[in-house]
Amino acid sequence: MNSSSFADAFDTTTDAALEWVSDNGGFIFDSLRSVLEGLYDGVLSALNFAPFYVVATVAALLGWRVVSAWFGLFAGVALVFCAIIGLWPETMSTLALVLTATFLALLVGIPAGVVAGFVPALDRALEPVLDLIQTLPPYIYLLPAIALLGYGPATALVATIIVAIPPAFRLTSLGIRMTPNEFVELGHATGITGMQMFFKIRLPFAMPSIMAGINQSLMMAFGMVVIAGIVGSGGLGETIYGAIRTLDIAKSINAAIAIVVLTMVLDRLAQGAASAGYGAKT
Amino acid sequence: MSESDNANGELLIDCQSVWKIFGDRANVAVKAVVEKGLTKKQVLQDYNCVVGVADASIQVRRGEIFCIMGLSGSGKSTLIRLLNRLIVPSLGKVVVKGYDLATLSAADLRRTRARHIGMVFQSVALLPHRTVLENAAFGLEVQGIGKLERNRTASEALEKVGLADWLSRYPAELSGGMQQRVGLARAIAANPEIILMDEPFSALDPLIRRQLQDEFRQLTKELGKSAVFITHDLDEAIRIGDRIAIMKDGVIIQIGTAEEIVLNPADDYVAEFVAGISRLHLVKAHSVMSSIAEYQRAHPNSDINALTTTTPEADIDELIGLTMQSDRDGIAVVDSGSVVGIVTTRGLLRGVKGTQPDELAAA
Repeated sequence: MNSSSFADAFDTTTDAALEWVSDNGGFIFDSLRSVLEGLYDGVLSALNFAPFYVVATVAALLGWRVVSAWFGLFAGVALVFCAIIGLWPETMSTLALVLTATFLALLVGIPAGVVAGFVPALDRALEPVLDLIQTLPPYIYLLPAIALLGYGPATALVATIIVAIPPAFRLTSLGIRMTPNEFVELGHATGITGMQMFFKIRLPFAMPSIMAGINQSLMMAFGMVVIAGIVGSGGLGETIYGAIRTLDIAKSINAAIAIVVLTMVLDRLAQGAASAGYGAKT
Repeated sequence: MSESDNANGELLIDCQSVWKIFGDRANVAVKAVVEKGLTKKQVLQDYNCVVGVADASIQVRRGEIFCIMGLSGSGKSTLIRLLNRLIVPSLGKVVVKGYDLATLSAADLRRTRARHIGMVFQSVALLPHRTVLENAAFGLEVQGIGKLERNRTASEALEKVGLADWLSRYPAELSGGMQQRVGLARAIAANPEIILMDEPFSALDPLIRRQLQDEFRQLTKELGKSAVFITHDLDEAIRIGDRIAIMKDGVIIQIGTAEEIVLNPADDYVAEFVAGISRLHLVKAHSVMSSIAEYQRAHPNSDINALTTTTPEADIDELIGLTMQSDRDGIAVVDSGSVVGIVTTRGLLRGVKGTQPDELAAA
């Protein structure tokens, strides 16, 4: 047996395996797809319910309250600019994609991170998986994902969720493990129960770390939605992908500006909310 | 323990021959200690285990402040954690209010800690995201007491430590001394009979520390609490404690009142500590007085009944004051109506210097 025939055999097996999963697990992937798309559509129609100037005003007010007056002004003007360059619907579908994906990623990442914070063995076991997710180029799993979930926002969501989970998981687990020992001792000396120890002592101390994890997940999700343009994510990612294919430089720059605006606004709002809740008192 | 001590009050903490051995082979080491009576050094050599506390027995009675004094590494912090079972003893028994802690269920142990044993830490351990009031109410909150009631009780406790105006502040806004007051308020808010104080004032500057020591002693006595107080400072132990235990290398070397320890140190180690201690307020008239016969031998013409009088409990500072006011050379010590001895200037100097009467006689 020479090496090329081995490689052929390996490829054939991989293809067959994917086909088998696709054939036999079809109903699972179909239902996953409809759930994800349903969620995405729900968020999107909620965002589209209000006209752009209302969304921009809300962002400006939030920015003013949780960050600063200058940032509020910037957020409002920048979002209006996105509408003026004619990319408002795309901006909103990207926002819907990021919010849905981040929400689902946190739903998995934070509870799993809490468990891993208590069970070091689980943390160690998942470490290589997380490393793999964070180093693997997204294109590699986008293609098999198309085979299973089809071309469209569901695949983009799954890819985005996968990259958004590790930061939330890692920083939650770290936060739970980092409870200062003297406070654990205080809890025991006070006669605290296990649940009280978690909610009254460990969680509050882990909160800054968890908030940092949420912020990181959000940023990872933004990075991914652009790449996910090639699997039909819709929104700005697809606009950029289309502009690259047709060498429409002006349009790709416009879309890039809209992405940057959206990322900055969401990032600063999330950070502001986190420090308003926890940073100021410590 | 002598009978007179037993009569002083109900036994709240009875810690009987407790050992704590740390290390991977602690179990085997404990067995060896029981069977062969190994010493600390042998345990370290043969089993590579560190003895934190060796054969410690202490009794704390209701209303008593019991100080444990030792340098770092002496095992005092381990010992105090054995008293509320934050550390499980390797050997021996800790009985609190008549209950052997080892026999309590997890829930009963939690209840005992919550209701009967308060604890104050050197690091204070105030939750940074909670206000002063919420911190002081923490113990009550854990017990499931309603917000209104626990806030009322906690504000009363904060008032007792002089922080009534700081309820809605956060710990970071308070000075070190004030933070430690919050720690104390948190401990007394749950109204425990016993308060464990783990070097609470060590990190404070001397003036604040002294002030807190006095306040702590006064408050504890006022509330009728018992306290076990850990310190590395003998002055602090003397200022605060009714009785003092001195620890070295995990072993309790001596237990006694401040006067007993200063006048009769158990060994050279204790003697060295005691050497720098001012005796002015420690040594009492009954320890420095000479007998009437001795006085009359030296002063045949002196009339005892004309001397200034004082009580056996008067300290040297007080006696010096009396001697300086008086034109005679002795102070008569009167106990229940009759003169029991005479304090001379020579006796006073002996008390300040710390030389034993028999040494003086030999010289």
